[in-house]
Amino acid sequence: MATREIISTGNELAAIAAVDAGCKFFGGYPLTPSSEVMHVISDLLPKVNGVAIQMEDEIGGICAVIGAAMAGDRALTATSGPGMSLKAEQLGLAQMAEVPLVCVNVMRGGPSTGLPTRVSQGDILQSKNPSHGDYKSITFCAGSLAECYTEVVRAFNVADRFMQPVIVLLDETIGHMHGKAELPTLEEVQAGIVPRKTFDGPAEEYFPYQCESDEPAVLNPMFEGYRYHFTGLHHDKNGFPTEEIETCRKLIQRLEDKVALHEDEVESYEEFMMDDADFMIIAYGSVSLAAKEAIRHLRAEGIKAGLFRPITIWPSPAKKIKEYTDKIEKVLVVELNIGQFHSEVQRASSRLDIDGLFKVNGRPLSPYEIVNKVKEIL
Amino acid sequence: MAKTLMRFTGVGGQGVLLAGEIFAAAKIKTGGYGLKTATYTSQVRGGPTVVDIQLDDEEIYYPYANDGEIGFMLSVADKSYQLFKDGVQPGGTIVVDPNLAHPSDEDRKKWKIYEIPIITIAKEEVGNVITQSVVALAIANTMMNAIDKNVLIETMLSKVPAKVHDVNKKAYELGEKYAQEAMAKAVSA
Repeated sequence: MATREIISTGNELAAIAAVDAGCKFFGGYPLTPSSEVMHVISDLLPKVNGVAIQMEDEIGGICAVIGAAMAGDRALTATSGPGMSLKAEQLGLAQMAEVPLVCVNVMRGGPSTGLPTRVSQGDILQSKNPSHGDYKSITFCAGSLAECYTEVVRAFNVADRFMQPVIVLLDETIGHMHGKAELPTLEEVQAGIVPRKTFDGPAEEYFPYQCESDEPAVLNPMFEGYRYHFTGLHHDKNGFPTEEIETCRKLIQRLEDKVALHEDEVESYEEFMMDDADFMIIAYGSVSLAAKEAIRHLRAEGIKAGLFRPITIWPSPAKKIKEYTDKIEKVLVVELNIGQFHSEVQRASSRLDIDGLFKVNGRPLSPYEIVNKVKEIL
Repeated sequence: MAKTLMRFTGVGGQGVLLAGEIFAAAKIKTGGYGLKTATYTSQVRGGPTVVDIQLDDEEIYYPYANDGEIGFMLSVADKSYQLFKDGVQPGGTIVVDPNLAHPSDEDRKKWKIYEIPIITIAKEEVGNVITQSVVALAIANTMMNAIDKNVLIETMLSKVPAKVHDVNKKAYELGEKYAQEAMAKAVSA
């Protein structure tokens, strides 16, 4: 694979990735620590005939993005936890109406306005169910500078494949750290773009929400002669509101199944020194960097530790986690919250003896804290 | 070359971030790994700011400098100096602007402390206060011998507009001169 080297920050790479992936619209509101995504994309989009708008608030930002996506564009918004809370309702609309979009969340301390400039991973559970109702979220989490780029690119393709929002989690550390990233070439990224499906038959035979029970809606871009209706209400094959019993049941079941039955298409994780590991650390995002450093120290002392790092957080790589937790006794989940993914590991493993190392004071977890915790458990 | 860990501290708005980016980029240019992380408070201007710079020939995972392992710190604000000094390893080098940061006698026993009036040099000798980050860059590199000087200057110039190239070159030379003088003085004393 041909690569190129860029020296940059995670936030800047996320913005560059969106443009390289064919994003033509950004709507948002600057929010620490995500603001640089908006700053950079505001500079880049006009150069490729795209549009970036600073809206009146976070809600306006995602509403504009939904509009652009309905019109057929790849569209991005970026924010942090407080903005995610405000965008929650519209993320629900995008799930229900099946509007593909990408939302980057650069996590900071919460709840509420929390710790604006400090790192956190407190939005893991929020990203699973930001809005009420049943649907199956897709969330990726970048664990390196390069992934701030590659996961945003992947998010656009996956959003178009499943016709729904895809959340990409960064955190303050990853978003702001500045260093080298090895990226796929622009040509490779462009060759990998898979646009959303469209219907090209006669307009009178077009029913956007009439699809297989495990497939997403086929929404043609607007203004091209195909008419249909968008709503957050339960809807029929044309998109018009209905309360017909079977139609309602099938719709919500389909929102679940279109992802649940195709989890293998989005599953992604990294195994770091897991081959001979008899101690498994589970970490994601910037914490996985501290974990890798910790493993270097532990291995130097003869402790065979390895890292399992989920990249796709939701749906979680539950089967793979169980595979490991069935054969490795000592398991430690390390995260900057009070056990949000830890509970998912408990669920996936059917084990209540999974250890946790948690921190919620806005400061990063250092490799030494992890080393000490591992030694305490051994 | 072994791993170099440096920390620049000041208050928000002083521009200490740029020096870190230049160091990281210059190291990467030479084929190594460089990483800069900054920590700041929600009080964007006036709050304590710390920039960690790691330069290594091996891949760097954890992006922050571990407290107790830092070999060099530069500080242009007392509150940041007090807050972050303990990250410097015993015997490590600390450069302070004596008008802005005030080490105690105990500190002077613990670390090699040099006093260089960075802001005054930038303001009065270079003629532009913004160049303080380049003065700081030169001091750090001269004392730590971290990166080939020419690569560092070339990287620095690529990050500033052409019309200020000369003034920034001058800032680098002055920073280097003051650092060499400070080190020579310490040796003779």
